[in-house]
Amino acid sequence: MRNPLRPTRRVHAHCDIPCGVYDPQQARIEAESCYKIIEKYNASDDELLRTRCIAVKEERAELTKHHIDVLWHDYFKPEHLEKFPDLHETCWKASKAASKVKQTTDIEAAKELLALIDKIDEMWKATGGPEKTRLQAVAA
Amino acid sequence: MSTERGRHRPLSSFLVRGLALGAGVAAVAFARRWLDVVEVQGGSMAPTLLPGEWLLVERRSYSRRRPRVGEIVLAADPRDASRELIKRVAALNADAGLVELAGDAPAASTDSRTFGAVPVSGVRWRVIGRYYPPGRIRRL
Repeated sequence: MRNPLRPTRRVHAHCDIPCGVYDPQQARIEAESCYKIIEKYNASDDELLRTRCIAVKEERAELTKHHIDVLWHDYFKPEHLEKFPDLHETCWKASKAASKVKQTTDIEAAKELLALIDKIDEMWKATGGPEKTRLQAVAA
Repeated sequence: MSTERGRHRPLSSFLVRGLALGAGVAAVAFARRWLDVVEVQGGSMAPTLLPGEWLLVERRSYSRRRPRVGEIVLAADPRDASRELIKRVAALNADAGLVELAGDAPAASTDSRTFGAVPVSGVRWRVIGRYYPPGRIRRL
């Protein structure tokens, strides 16, 4: 017989140190930066500016990807997946689109990234995100 | 072991409680239907409960009555049903059949502030006491 003193299971005094604040606009703003930077890059002959555009775009695209991942990992819950079966697919595609934007200067890639973020934004709104995850009023 | 001797020789309350809990734990093998032993994982119930501590839990009470505010309970994690949370009952809405759960360490706890009140039906186990480590044997 097993030792009856030994616990049979673990129970979670859980903490994910949540600030609990999420908003796809955070990703959207970084992605818009990428979009505008790509426009500027393609419109310019100034090699210095073009080089800077590449550097800044990579940084912004990485931030976009980070914000998408945070929504995916931390905000969305199993019940949201039930409501939106394409949730994983969409977040996955959006992360990949952010990588694409990081790699290229193709404006179409930036457009696709924005469209996918908007799709995530719809899911966030439909699951009560604006009320649940944004500060409604700051305590005095 | 004679209880007579206990009267003549003063025992520290620590020992009395230890023996009482020890007897409780020994009964686990015979009363598995009502009793169980679990291990705490995570720090959201600090300083009351610390990670790695072993607890005696029972599920007889809640088959007869509702949880009460202040009791430490095990409840299904509303965000991940495969996981069991350990939290304190912070409030009870008997009409709605909901309980609010809170960690004793609010700054390090994911609880009803994040995931809302949980159905009372998901709260089945009550924590009776801690039997390990020896220095922290205590009824809860």
